[in-house]
Amino acid sequence: MKYFWVFYFLIPFLGHSQNKQIVYDFANLPQTLLLNPGAEVTNKWHVGVPVVSHFSVNGGFTGFSTYDIFADNGIPINDKIKAAVNNFGKSEFVTFNQQLEVISAGFELPNKSYISFGYYEEFDFLAKIPKDLVDLFYQGNSIINKQYAIHKLAARSELLGVFHIGLSKKIDNKLQVGARGKIYSGVFNANSKNNSGSLYTADGTANIYSQHLENVHIKMQTSGIFLEDTDEVTSSYVQSKLLLGGNLGLGLDVGFTYHPEKQWEVTGSMLDLGFINNAQNVRSYAINGDYEVDGIQLLFDSNNPENYWENLKDDFEESIVLDTVYSKYISFRPVKLNGAVSYSFGQNYDDCRFLIDSNSYNNKIGFHLFSTLGAVHSYLAATLFFEKKLHKNIYTKFTYTVDPFSFSNLGLGLSMQLGVVNTYIAIDNLLNFSNLYDAQSASLQFGLNIIVNHKN
Amino acid sequence: MTPKKIISLLITILLLQSCTKDVDFNQLDDANINASYIVTLVYFDVEATNFLNEYNEEIEWTSDVIESKISTASQKYLERVEFTVITENSFNRSFEINIVFFDEANNPIYQLKPSIQIEPNSSTKVIIEIPQSEIDVIYNTQFFGFSILMAQSADGTVLSGEEAFKLNLKSSVELFYNYRKV
Repeated sequence: MKYFWVFYFLIPFLGHSQNKQIVYDFANLPQTLLLNPGAEVTNKWHVGVPVVSHFSVNGGFTGFSTYDIFADNGIPINDKIKAAVNNFGKSEFVTFNQQLEVISAGFELPNKSYISFGYYEEFDFLAKIPKDLVDLFYQGNSIINKQYAIHKLAARSELLGVFHIGLSKKIDNKLQVGARGKIYSGVFNANSKNNSGSLYTADGTANIYSQHLENVHIKMQTSGIFLEDTDEVTSSYVQSKLLLGGNLGLGLDVGFTYHPEKQWEVTGSMLDLGFINNAQNVRSYAINGDYEVDGIQLLFDSNNPENYWENLKDDFEESIVLDTVYSKYISFRPVKLNGAVSYSFGQNYDDCRFLIDSNSYNNKIGFHLFSTLGAVHSYLAATLFFEKKLHKNIYTKFTYTVDPFSFSNLGLGLSMQLGVVNTYIAIDNLLNFSNLYDAQSASLQFGLNIIVNHKN
Repeated sequence: MTPKKIISLLITILLLQSCTKDVDFNQLDDANINASYIVTLVYFDVEATNFLNEYNEEIEWTSDVIESKISTASQKYLERVEFTVITENSFNRSFEINIVFFDEANNPIYQLKPSIQIEPNSSTKVIIEIPQSEIDVIYNTQFFGFSILMAQSADGTVLSGEEAFKLNLKSSVELFYNYRKV
């Protein structure tokens, strides 16, 4: 058990994505409806155990792992740091996402459609770090004419509460479609994107060197970060912002499940197609300009002494202009896309070799693609999965995922139903489970539900 | 194998694995990142007229001052400061340039050594380093004073202001940081 807690507490420091490749379309869990509102849910009704019906946390850093730097392998740490810097891509990203389902429930309508609703809290952070900034810190700027560019520098972060209600409707025996409406209540939002500019030192003419800030355009929008003097950040303040007191927005999830053949299944979903109107405590910054300096030219004119430093500062501030804007802005949630194809096989027979359930298969094998599309960063993950029903109430799922963090991400999901109590857990990056320090990403999801199925 | 056994086996495999391999966070004590930053500094051209007073009489020195408070943000990581000074002198006189640091109360607290000696009709490149033990003085400096001392001519002639002599100076500083656990 202690390893579980080690894992639990390390995740935030490992620095992932919002890809939930294990829980997606897994074991008819109610939580699959949050990943595909058109998922097939076969139970009669469900209620999530408040606060523990679904907890997920995932994080990752594409640059290097803790083990890359701190491995006790006899290699000097400075050599390992140097190797990590040398292997740093043009830009790497660090991401962290956490969701806590507070309320979750659903029930089947007489027409076999399934309504589900609830409320969850979500924190999301992503930052792209350009290699040039790492070089600038690691080496300095002493390489003449080397341009240190920031055009890949981008970040987003937000904390929000999400009220949602969705309907999964069976159209016919082949097709099920669904949609989920969401109301977002944002506590804070910060984003910086489409930045550009570079810094470099060149051989000068008037002086030995000239130093340049070229084509600088940096923009950062924030809401809920710079507060009024009367605002105090307490738990009740955060709660009020999470519960419709924050910056409000609307979102939509859509999805489907389609069976071209009985054993073949195609699913797809588009999540968080939505926006938040950031109107409270808004403060945005824009920095624009070009600047070139040769140094300070001394005039040796005692009759007209110059305040060189103030002149330099004034010249800089006239060239590189900082604007502060207090007008509201719209932020878009990163859209998540899921698509999967699977094939089910293996049925159960009784002792007389009669088929027990013609619609139930013990095994499912398939391929899942996930993509997140955002103004700050987009990426793609591909998963091969095998789902095995060990018992009528016990499901397992094994996944192999290739994503920007790893080419060897193995995951495991387990869902058990004991009476009306369902519990599930999903962990990925199992190969790194033997050495969490070597993981560049990790994710954990677990939950507890009351699920009442139809009587057979 | 029953489902119960399979699940038990899976959980056992997961939990019996060592969660971490050997890492040594104490290595951080040995970590250091050495980075150097070039900053362009002052430059000037002084001519014969800079060495004449209001009566067009030759004076032997001229000076100027820059007020600039240096940020202490990364003071503890700064290990070496290296000034590069390049001069070109077309005067038939030699010069001595002194750079003196003054505190807020205008008291001189440090002088870059050695002073820059410039021979007549010469080009020079001088590198001056502030020793590590004296680097903190930079952060107590409020004013940087520059004075140019011109030697008298060997033949007794004085400047009239008509001469096309020029003393040009260019400079930069390279700051060497050692980021480490301090």
